[in-house]
Amino acid sequence: MNTAGDLLHVVTADNISDQQRRFGKLIVLGSAALMFFVAGLQTADQNGWIDLGFETWRPTLYAYIFWGICLCAGQVIARGEHGKRTLFVLPAALFVVSMVVFPLLFGLIIAFSDWNLASPNGRQFNGWNNIRQMWADPFYWNAMRNMVWYSLAIIVEYAVAFALALLLNTQIKGRKFFRVAFLLPLMLSPVAVSWMIGKSMLENRFGPIARILREMGVENPSFFSSPEIARLMIMLMDAWTYIPFMMIMILAGLQAIPKELHEAAEVDGASAWTRFWEVTFPLMLPVSITAILIRIIFKLKLADIIINITSGGPGGATDSVTSFIFREYRDRSNVGYGTMLAMFYLVVIVIAMTILIKGADRWMRPRY
Amino acid sequence: MKVEHYNAIMHKQMSRRKMLQGAASVGAIAAMGGIFPKQVAAGGHSAVRAEILKIPGVGAGSPTDADWQKVGDLCLGPTKERVAEGEFEGVELTFMGLNNQNLHNFLFRGFLKPWEAYTGAKINWVDLAQADYNPRLQQAIATGTVDFDLIEMGAPFEGDTAGKGLLDEMPAWVEEQIEADDLVSYLQAPVGTWDGKKYRVTIDGDCHTFCYRTDYFGAGAIGGASVPKTWQEVNAASKELIGKEDPLTGLPAHGYLDPLKGWGGFGFYFLENRAAAYAKHPSDPAWLFDPETMKPRVNNPAWVQAIQDVLDLIEAGAYPADQINADPGTTGFQQFLAGTGSMLMWWGDIGSNARTSDTSVVGDVVGFGINPGSDRVYNSQSGAWENTYNEAPNMAYLGWGVYVTKNVQGNEKKQKAAWSAAAHLGGKDISLWMSAYPSGFQPYRNSHFQYDEWEAAGYDRAYIEDYLGSNADSYNHENAAIEPRIPGIFQYYSVAEDELAKGYAGQYGSAQEIGDAIAAAWEKITDQIGRDSQIALYKASLGL
Repeated sequence: MNTAGDLLHVVTADNISDQQRRFGKLIVLGSAALMFFVAGLQTADQNGWIDLGFETWRPTLYAYIFWGICLCAGQVIARGEHGKRTLFVLPAALFVVSMVVFPLLFGLIIAFSDWNLASPNGRQFNGWNNIRQMWADPFYWNAMRNMVWYSLAIIVEYAVAFALALLLNTQIKGRKFFRVAFLLPLMLSPVAVSWMIGKSMLENRFGPIARILREMGVENPSFFSSPEIARLMIMLMDAWTYIPFMMIMILAGLQAIPKELHEAAEVDGASAWTRFWEVTFPLMLPVSITAILIRIIFKLKLADIIINITSGGPGGATDSVTSFIFREYRDRSNVGYGTMLAMFYLVVIVIAMTILIKGADRWMRPRY
Repeated sequence: MKVEHYNAIMHKQMSRRKMLQGAASVGAIAAMGGIFPKQVAAGGHSAVRAEILKIPGVGAGSPTDADWQKVGDLCLGPTKERVAEGEFEGVELTFMGLNNQNLHNFLFRGFLKPWEAYTGAKINWVDLAQADYNPRLQQAIATGTVDFDLIEMGAPFEGDTAGKGLLDEMPAWVEEQIEADDLVSYLQAPVGTWDGKKYRVTIDGDCHTFCYRTDYFGAGAIGGASVPKTWQEVNAASKELIGKEDPLTGLPAHGYLDPLKGWGGFGFYFLENRAAAYAKHPSDPAWLFDPETMKPRVNNPAWVQAIQDVLDLIEAGAYPADQINADPGTTGFQQFLAGTGSMLMWWGDIGSNARTSDTSVVGDVVGFGINPGSDRVYNSQSGAWENTYNEAPNMAYLGWGVYVTKNVQGNEKKQKAAWSAAAHLGGKDISLWMSAYPSGFQPYRNSHFQYDEWEAAGYDRAYIEDYLGSNADSYNHENAAIEPRIPGIFQYYSVAEDELAKGYAGQYGSAQEIGDAIAAAWEKITDQIGRDSQIALYKASLGL
């Protein structure tokens, strides 16, 4: 048994010979060399430098998988129990690299390309042109501006969700029924919501809501004609779907607050509003911030309802960044530019969320 | 009625109306074998044709899957002549097509079920919404992942597919089986061909025709004494109808229904309808771009006038509420067929749906005509308006066809199976049924214009002469606006839709600014795809 090095929690006696260690390293390096060799051959074939008749990139994929297996096996062979510990993480890390890092890198390559699917020239590297085009693209910045409005609506959604959670946290009749009923919209697909509500109930001629409004004397009720009302309707439908999500998180937080705190405040003569504002609300801040942050992430992906109902109209008033990218990428096959827009949006989201999380962290930190 | 005969009559200075008045006697002579020997040769089909037209019968509700299967079974004759029973046992084909209004692929499934049972082949289906079609196809082409053996595709995409060697050339026996010489002339080559090779089994012919409500127009009617014949009259009538009551529904009356929302690029065709009358000069085949430079014409005075017409109706409040959120599907099916609005330009679906679809309420009060004309036409060559009457039917999309991809090459059995399936769908008899009932397709063969067959199926003679006549008049118009078969055509349309949406929402100062914005976006697309190749293909598609 080894007697040197980190022996903490080591339970197996590993007597690894130099030969075994060398073999472990050899299979890792050998498989890596094979992977690079195959990838190099395929790259040469793809670029027309040599003709090997590869039809797909599967040989490189198989070489990568083989290298991954050898890398894992090599850890155990060369490092014994320490290697086995590595195996708890290594396959997952390799999977993440395969599914996230590689596609992201390829995505970046595409983002800096002029790639219109209809072009006979295929993909062409075009440097910073897509970025320049983005800066001057009024449709994109209009969609960005709309996202600010959509995100600000979360404040109202939060207030409604909090109110509903408080309601469901009290001893009302049919509490369990209402908890399930309020959750139902969350279970619906946004596509179903857009068709059932946006395209059917809000249909301006035969939709039941339009009919009721007409009965009430509203002449030609329409829900998606003016920019402000159309944006409001999209906000309402999105809110209807996702308020239950915030509500259930807040409700869980409310139920975790010890009753003694409220009882003590009541004994001290605090009014209902004071008990809420001085006790409940501060205690709910961590849950609230988490709920709001997750909701913002959901909101930034808003697209399906818009695509189905307004296609971003009227005149871009309801366009979200995602729905605009969808049109740019899908309808116009502008893959390079569409990918750049998505990449830039990703960077904006990461920066904004980091600032928000840091800010929230600082805000919630107790000050003594 | 065959189009060449129709044309011959036209050359003798007969009006269509006069000609149609004599249609019955012409039909009778034809039935006796007098003057149309080819139609008599097709007489072997007549029993089948009469039988399928009764499935389910006009006024008997929308056809069901059982009806489609019945029709498919009755039309298997030509397949049985060329394919032995069970000959394609073990063959699996993938068919990519549309699912618009639960038609297209839904019909094909029913039609091909008896074909599958007879031949032993199996078909796997890829259903796409209209708006998803273009991107799915483009991505498959660009990434080399053409994973379908048969595709329902419009001629505008032939540059993208046949031009890149992705299609299988049509065997001669298929051309014979589908009786391709029966296609109306504008669907004959070069449509369906590339570099002289044939690729397409045509299953549709496309043009936009004018649909109007007969109860809105006529003596004492709310829309005026006569049906508008020009876009100027269309706009005037639309404004006149503001504040009046629809005679059918009792709801507010409306005039022309422009779709103000995009439809994955397909919505641009509807501005084209207006623009064609102003911009398609009889002496010039080009009307979208300058063929020598690909400089867009969409911001020339003719197109700007078309945009201005729409802006005028928006400003006047002539459209139904929420029109800004109405795409062509809405204007055609949720508005016009449901009784809202009195004038519409659409593909032939409206004609075939008006009397056979469960959702239509206008079957008895609908009339048809060709694309309205204009009192003046813009001459791009001279850069000036000419005060002469002009009309130019819009051959929007050139119709759907079934194409076989090169995936089947190297497997003779599969190749034959794919072409046999395509030929079954493009057969002469089955096509009659498709143009008579809701299918997503409109008449496209000379044989479709034999009104007696339609009358025997239960259609009102006057109605069908009107409906089919509008198609025939459009197909054979000497100043028809033909769609260019250039790569990325829907990218141009799509970006135009975005700019138009902004313009209709009042975000541009004038129609000219909207046109300029579209032109700038089109220039970018042309540069991105490659100006030289676009010029070459555009000129080729115009026959220059």
